Amino acid sequence: MRNWFKYFDKPAFFVILSLAFAGIILIYSASHGTDRPYYLKQSLWLAVSVLAFFIILRLNTEKVFQSALPIYFILLVMLFFQLFLGHLTAGTRSWIKTGIFDIQISEFIKIPLAIILARALTKFPIIGWKEYIRLIAIIGTPFVLIGMQPDLGTAFMISSFFLMCLLLKKIRTIILIFSLIMVLGGIFTAWNYVLKPYQKNRLISFVNPGKYQKSAGYQIIQSRIAIGSGGIAGKGYLNGTQSQYKFLPTRHTDFIVSVLGEEFGFFGITFIFVLFFLLFYRQFNIPQQKTDEEFYFVYLFNFLIFFQFLINILMSIGLFPVLGIPLPFISYGGSSLLAFFTGEALIFRIKINNLLT
Amino acid sequence: MYIEKRKVSPENIRQLFIKINILVIIVFVALLFAFWSIQILKNQHYTTLSVQNITKTLEVKAPRGFIRDRHYRIMAENKLHFNLFLIKENAKDIQRSINLACSLTGQDEKEIRRRIDKFRDFPGGYTIPLERSLSLAKAIYVESHADEWPEFIIDIEPARAYPHNDLASHVLGYAAELGPKELERVKDQGYTLGDKIGKSGIEYQYEKLLRGKPGSTVMTRDHLGLVREKLSEKKPEIGDCIVLTIDLELQIFIENLFKDQRGTIAVLDLASGDILALVGKPNFNPDFFTSSFDPQAWSALVDNPDKPLHNKFIQGNYSPGSVFKIVMTLAGLEEKLIEPTTSVYCPGTVKIYNDIRRCWNPDGHGRMNLYQAIENSCNIYFFTLGKRIDIEVIEHYARLLGLGERTGIDLPNESSGLVPSRTWKWEKRGQKWFPGDTISIAIGHGMLTVTPVQILQLIGTVALRGKKPNLHLVKRIEKNGKVLQENTPRFTQVPISPGSFETVIEGLYRVVNGQGTGRAARIDGFDICGKTGTGQIISKEKTEYRELVKQTRFIPHSWFASFAPRVNPRVAMVIFVENGGDAGAVAAPLAREIYRQIFGENKK
Repeated sequence: MRNWFKYFDKPAFFVILSLAFAGIILIYSASHGTDRPYYLKQSLWLAVSVLAFFIILRLNTEKVFQSALPIYFILLVMLFFQLFLGHLTAGTRSWIKTGIFDIQISEFIKIPLAIILARALTKFPIIGWKEYIRLIAIIGTPFVLIGMQPDLGTAFMISSFFLMCLLLKKIRTIILIFSLIMVLGGIFTAWNYVLKPYQKNRLISFVNPGKYQKSAGYQIIQSRIAIGSGGIAGKGYLNGTQSQYKFLPTRHTDFIVSVLGEEFGFFGITFIFVLFFLLFYRQFNIPQQKTDEEFYFVYLFNFLIFFQFLINILMSIGLFPVLGIPLPFISYGGSSLLAFFTGEALIFRIKINNLLT
Repeated sequence: MYIEKRKVSPENIRQLFIKINILVIIVFVALLFAFWSIQILKNQHYTTLSVQNITKTLEVKAPRGFIRDRHYRIMAENKLHFNLFLIKENAKDIQRSINLACSLTGQDEKEIRRRIDKFRDFPGGYTIPLERSLSLAKAIYVESHADEWPEFIIDIEPARAYPHNDLASHVLGYAAELGPKELERVKDQGYTLGDKIGKSGIEYQYEKLLRGKPGSTVMTRDHLGLVREKLSEKKPEIGDCIVLTIDLELQIFIENLFKDQRGTIAVLDLASGDILALVGKPNFNPDFFTSSFDPQAWSALVDNPDKPLHNKFIQGNYSPGSVFKIVMTLAGLEEKLIEPTTSVYCPGTVKIYNDIRRCWNPDGHGRMNLYQAIENSCNIYFFTLGKRIDIEVIEHYARLLGLGERTGIDLPNESSGLVPSRTWKWEKRGQKWFPGDTISIAIGHGMLTVTPVQILQLIGTVALRGKKPNLHLVKRIEKNGKVLQENTPRFTQVPISPGSFETVIEGLYRVVNGQGTGRAARIDGFDICGKTGTGQIISKEKTEYRELVKQTRFIPHSWFASFAPRVNPRVAMVIFVENGGDAGAVAAPLAREIYRQIFGENKK
């Protein structure tokens, strides 16, 4: 137990807690005065998440990894039923209403998915056709189910697992070419037959937000105004006109960085960026001797956070389509917070394990 | 970045981590750079946009400056207009609101709906103008129901008012709402739609001073356009006060005297160059343009054949007739072509250059010297002078005395009249100058035209023995009771000898005080000097003259230019009666009445 405390990565834990607290502070600014006390809910979720974090930290990693596959299937089944029964929020069926808290299954499936992928990656050094189909099946099933909700943002994040695998493993050139053709074909099909006009608008409006000023481009323009007008030191907490006068849409979730940029300025942005950098630095550079499934899990999950962070930030300054991707640890959303704390608990545990042996 | 080897050494993993760290560092540096560029380099740009987002500026129009007469009596002021506005989103039941609006404004439902429809694309919080100048009673009625009818708003706007109605309308001009085309022209000067602008007269000439500075109220609003709080307020500044040289009493007197006639009368104070009265008839009521705008009444005013908007005093070009003999006399004397004693025999009709030329008196005046010629306005005498004088000489003296160019009086669109010359005729008409042209001009006819203001300046110059007065209508400009600018009297010395002026004045004295054409203006003891003129509209030489002249519009115009007293003159006056006919019978008696008023005879 003493060693446990010794090897527990206290700085990293301090960083994720700081991010979560910063999130609550920003969510308060984004939602106070409305009839929706998001900051209270988020505080409760944080308490739940921290509790879950320590429970999972105590669990046997091997057993957790073994139970990943059944959990993965259970979640897939739930996703499937959610398509028909799920609660409709703003036109998407991504939520399960439980009464007090709404649960977003798509956020949780990221963890068993990362574990299964990690185990799969240990089995082969190079991606051949067999491996390729296996990866497609593992990633593609939740991707399709989530995409049909339709929750483009989470589906996109799920699909990024495939990119991570490609960064890690060598792939046969013919398969790479085949994949590219499939992706292009998929994009073509989706664009012409699957995506609804509003979704398409959201995707292309970031190229020229001025043209879609009144509709899809509105968010990007208002977000850039919020961030840009924040200046060096910001307009002060609760003093951001863009957020307080509600020019910023979804400011407590996807555009939380805009609230940060407006009220705390470049200093605030830098502060949060430094926290994220410290997190990535601590969690990527783990004491690791071999490329086992634990190593792959750490790699995959960290990259997931990194991508999600990067895309959310790019989205808020108009350099990426507005897909609805929350900022890890900070954006409002209990499922997301709990999922990330759970994943982090596994990484913390893996680090302890490695140091203990 | 992929790890290919079957056996992975810790060294390989370390290399992978290094690659990842480099990637992470590059991403963070790039992101920080992007935020640096947006938040610091483009901060100004986005700050402006964010302020625009949340602020709404309401302009508060400035009241126009007052216009007063020389004794500080108000001639143009402001009254309040109560405008009715509708805010659609405050209406609980739009049909009820429309019905209410109908009963308040007296318009039918279709019209109200049309007005509201014009603002269909505006946010619900927009204030839609429904009616200008609601009555005070109705405005109070609406205000007292503010709780019940939150959709209606009464806005108070200063509007121009002319308390004396059509009095001195050609001096004051009028101010009215900017048209869309005019707005395009003056947008750079900060005008917005709905602003009033001077359209003619003093209102136009001194627009910059009268306009004032608009105030503004800056308010914050949220993303729905709802007003949250007032940020700042700048009170509008009233325009400067223009104090005219006009004497209201004299103006009223002449307006009444000249009622129902057509023409113009102006009185000049010789000590200062102040215009004491300027009457133009027919005229218009400037108040008409400030209240409700009725297109029919407007076109009636514009299409009126008597042109009430036309300011004859500065814009009318007329033949001066015998008034021009003053210029001829001065030219003849200065050029030593005649002397006071030079005499000519007038038989009534003469033949000059194969043309039959007539004196106005068909029996002839007999032998006359210069004084007698002026007194009797003998044409034959001046025809004879015309034979001896070159047109360039006439032009020279006419221009010296201010004819053929604008006097520069402070009113817009002044006309310059026309003093013809050989080159002018060749360039404009492509014709040679005939000696007969000079003969016509010698009695103020032919191609020569003048404006009444030029004649006033001319007679003033004669009265002052060569000191040409600078005519003006504005005495001083004040701001909040403090004098900003005062018009000082200015005179230009005309290079003509005082002796020549004395000779002319002797003639002008005889016109009124002898047996001359202007004797109807005579008042004992006041030594009025003057000259009548009959400005022909068609040539007497035409065969159909006797027939045409029966129609009113072919009756000659009547002039009477005068000043008094002869020594140390105080006032000069021009009277121009359109189609007045015999100047001695029509214009001169008017002058007599006005002099009586000025010199206090009437006050007894």
